[in-house]
Amino acid sequence: MAGREVVKRAVQQVRPILSVNREEARKRALNLYKAWYRQIPYIVMDYDIPMSVEQCRAKLREQFIKNRSVTDIRVIDMLVIKVCPILPLLFIKETQLMNIQLLLQGQMELKESVEIWKQKGHIMRYWKESQDPKPTDFLSKFIQGIN
Amino acid sequence: MIRAPLVKALGALGSPTHQIASRAVRTSAVVAQTPAKAPEKIEVFVDDIPVKVLPGTTVLQAAAEIGVEIPRFCYHERLAIAGNCRMCLVEVEKSPKPVAACAMPVMKGWRIKTNSDLTRKAREGVMEFLLMNHPLDCPICDQGGECDLQDQAMAFGSDRSRFTDINYTGKRAVEDKDIGPLVKTVMTRCIHCTRCVRFASEVAGVDDLGTTGRGNDMQIGTYVEKLFLTELSGNVIDLCPVGALTNKPYSFVARPWEIRKVSSIDVLDAVGSNIVVSTRTNEVLRILPRENDDVNEEWLADKSRFACDGLKRQRLVAPMVRMPNGELQAVEWEGALIAVAKALKNAGGQIAGVAGQLADVEAMVALKDLVNRLGGENLVTEQDFIKGSGIDVRSSYLLNSSIAGLATTDAVLLVGTNPRYEAPLVNTRLRKAFMHNEMQLASIGPNIDLSYEHKNLGADASLIKDVCSGSHEFSKVLEGAKKPAIIIGADLLARPDGAAIHATISEYCQKLKKADWNPFNVLHNSASQVGAFDVGYQPGLQRMLQNQPKVLFLLNADSGKLTRDQLPKDCFVVYIGSHGDNGASIADAVLPGAAYTEKQGIYVNTEGRAQQTLPGVSPPGMAREDWKILRALSEIVGKPLAYDTLDELRSRLDDIAPHLTRLGELVPASNSEASPQTTPNKSISGGAIDVKLKELRDYFMTDAISRASPTMAKCISAVNKQQRQNEEAKQSAAI
Amino acid sequence: MAKFLGINRLGRLFQAIREAGGLKQAYLKLYRNDDLKTGKLIGIDKYGNKYYENPYYFYGRNRWVEFTPHVNMDYDASQIPAEWYGWMHYKTDLPPIRDGCRPKHKWIADHSENLSGTKEAYAPYTTTTPKIEAWNPNKK
Repeated sequence: MAGREVVKRAVQQVRPILSVNREEARKRALNLYKAWYRQIPYIVMDYDIPMSVEQCRAKLREQFIKNRSVTDIRVIDMLVIKVCPILPLLFIKETQLMNIQLLLQGQMELKESVEIWKQKGHIMRYWKESQDPKPTDFLSKFIQGIN
Repeated sequence: MIRAPLVKALGALGSPTHQIASRAVRTSAVVAQTPAKAPEKIEVFVDDIPVKVLPGTTVLQAAAEIGVEIPRFCYHERLAIAGNCRMCLVEVEKSPKPVAACAMPVMKGWRIKTNSDLTRKAREGVMEFLLMNHPLDCPICDQGGECDLQDQAMAFGSDRSRFTDINYTGKRAVEDKDIGPLVKTVMTRCIHCTRCVRFASEVAGVDDLGTTGRGNDMQIGTYVEKLFLTELSGNVIDLCPVGALTNKPYSFVARPWEIRKVSSIDVLDAVGSNIVVSTRTNEVLRILPRENDDVNEEWLADKSRFACDGLKRQRLVAPMVRMPNGELQAVEWEGALIAVAKALKNAGGQIAGVAGQLADVEAMVALKDLVNRLGGENLVTEQDFIKGSGIDVRSSYLLNSSIAGLATTDAVLLVGTNPRYEAPLVNTRLRKAFMHNEMQLASIGPNIDLSYEHKNLGADASLIKDVCSGSHEFSKVLEGAKKPAIIIGADLLARPDGAAIHATISEYCQKLKKADWNPFNVLHNSASQVGAFDVGYQPGLQRMLQNQPKVLFLLNADSGKLTRDQLPKDCFVVYIGSHGDNGASIADAVLPGAAYTEKQGIYVNTEGRAQQTLPGVSPPGMAREDWKILRALSEIVGKPLAYDTLDELRSRLDDIAPHLTRLGELVPASNSEASPQTTPNKSISGGAIDVKLKELRDYFMTDAISRASPTMAKCISAVNKQQRQNEEAKQSAAI
Repeated sequence: MAKFLGINRLGRLFQAIREAGGLKQAYLKLYRNDDLKTGKLIGIDKYGNKYYENPYYFYGRNRWVEFTPHVNMDYDASQIPAEWYGWMHYKTDLPPIRDGCRPKHKWIADHSENLSGTKEAYAPYTTTTPKIEAWNPNKK
């Protein structure tokens, strides 16, 4: 019984979100990176943030690198769609060309930034969270009066 | 001698034809205890559902057995049957008139109809009569929303009114009575159920309330202007089905649907009464009793009920440190903890801890662990107890007969205790035994009023020896009793010859012991005491003072027994607690803790029942739960305690004493371990035995919370005023 | 022609500089008021603010105030007292110095400027008693 379960698990095809294979996921990530890269000068201008384009690009790279260890295709897809970008496959190959359609998959964060649905503070949060992180150890919880 | 009121005897016995005599009352009690002799059950039909009940069961009880609730106003399970409100009228087949269900014992084969046309019509009629003379002031009535009359008028009343007196000329109006600072009366609302009268005479034992007049002119009152002052007066508020008797400090404060209710435990005496804390917007508004037949039935003592406004006054809201100029100054937590940690580092293990009256078990364990880790062993309770090894055996400091068990006793000896004010709900149990069990009670100590008859043997301590050696005449009563009990006051054992008294009595109790009955009882007066002994605290401050501590922790220790002069000059005193009282004023660092309505804490009551309080509100200002303060302090000192959460602490408690986490359960001290291994090295030195709480005025303020309570202060001045008036009346009568 | 070339404006500029009391004074005035105008001094209030009028300028710009020098750049419209407020806002053409029927009572409070943003600014405070009465250790 258990053995059959294992076999089933192994054979079971995971339903993809968007990308069927790693290559496609890599492409999506790459496209997202490029799209952000191009939009950064406009973002800096539109939001009038006290950051230079270079600083923003460094932050973009940092955000992608943060997720470099993600290997699950579905997670990569989800990150590309929703939150933020990954870089795991960025350095593998540069052969594939950008696919316009993939770019249009709507990376929420990017769209919100470009369309000025955000405000200055939302952009600046990439550098500094406006809330203090919640205490985790007993003593700081005690002093702040958080249970 | 008929102690129980006539109807009560009838109700308990069930058969109106039975001869009413004290003997009969006693047999009825015995019958109730031994179901083997129970007579055959008879069958009756309630709404055509057959139900088998014991003979003597009333119609109302029979209906309750199958879940049919008959409306009632005057009937109350714990009071004698009066049968005067007529709300419980039900139809019985082949009976010409509807019968009052609360007072009528069922007969074999009766067919009771609780929802027939006749029954409904009877109820509607009664309700109409009640409402005819009841004011329509529900919108401004404090009982609104929790009023029996409101609810039952909705459920059982008529759907239209025939009341046409639009000029309101005919409504009965009664002058309000002033019966004290706790109970507010609006006598026009009274429906004459007489529950308050019966409670006062049967449970509280003061015949202050009564009825005057007949019919429409009937009034409940004190006859002459007088305050209804007992330690149990608040219970008439709960008993009153309408808004005639309401809570005075709570008047016009809140509606029942606005408040949140938290089930908790009372800690102002050692009974551990179950309570419901009503809160709104982070404020304790009132405290009500919660039913628990093993502890407080459904009563609550006045201090526990009304001292809750003390939780809002004299509070410690910020940590404080004594500055070089000698003044306490509020500081941040970091500053206070570091100041204490410095003192601890310099103390070199000469650290002591004192657990006061309101300390919870968690905090005591945390303090013990902290002190032990820093190399100290010196942990004592503020309340004194016997010196020596007396507390090694758990049964030597418990109320072994159990609180509920005391109601079944038939001979009791009180030694140096006044249960009426030290533990009012223990006294109601004793009174119950006196009323229904023919219990004989004698006391050694000052002659006190227990609200029922008892024999005062005298105040001399040598009487203990006489009784315990069997030479006293009361010894024969004790030895002949089925369930004897000896109750020792905790304060008595603090005497120098306390150990000898303890040993003498426990030895005598070995003789009185029955198979499942331990007659040895200690009645504590502080809620923390049993818990403290359970986790390994030693009694008495003297022991702690001998060791000359450099740092002293006072955990809620507020009794004022400890003064600055007794301590070494360089001793650093740390107070952890909720109220600014005696403890905080001698402290060098004050760390604000939580009161019992603000923390989840275990308290063990005098019979050894571990129960927990639950937080109803959050601690004020920067105050924190007591054990967390100690946990935080331990980390600053560099010896962190091994628990971060309450669950972890509870499992630590479980390691120390497993019974502490079996909440709500009574874990009796096993009989085998109860053998007294102590030999009295000193004999009882004699001298008069005294008790602290002799009169009602002594009762109201016994701890930091009740001392901060304005209501309790009002109670004391009311008692004093009443006494002054009585004296004046006596003088003028003499003239 | 002169009008076309703006020479008359140039003359006005020279006049303004002259009235200001030299090039340096004119520069300072321009710096402080962002404007350099010539006009007739209508009156001075008790705080030292000077009120000018020049109907040459368009309605709305033809009455102005030069605040008293000691406030420097910290001038604020609320420093204009109530009596001049009406004149400044064209509620009346009669300046208070020429208006004899303005009420003058002892009890009329002195004008005070808007204190927002200063130390004296109003801060709302609670008037309810606190739910928890804290212990005061130093009260005997």
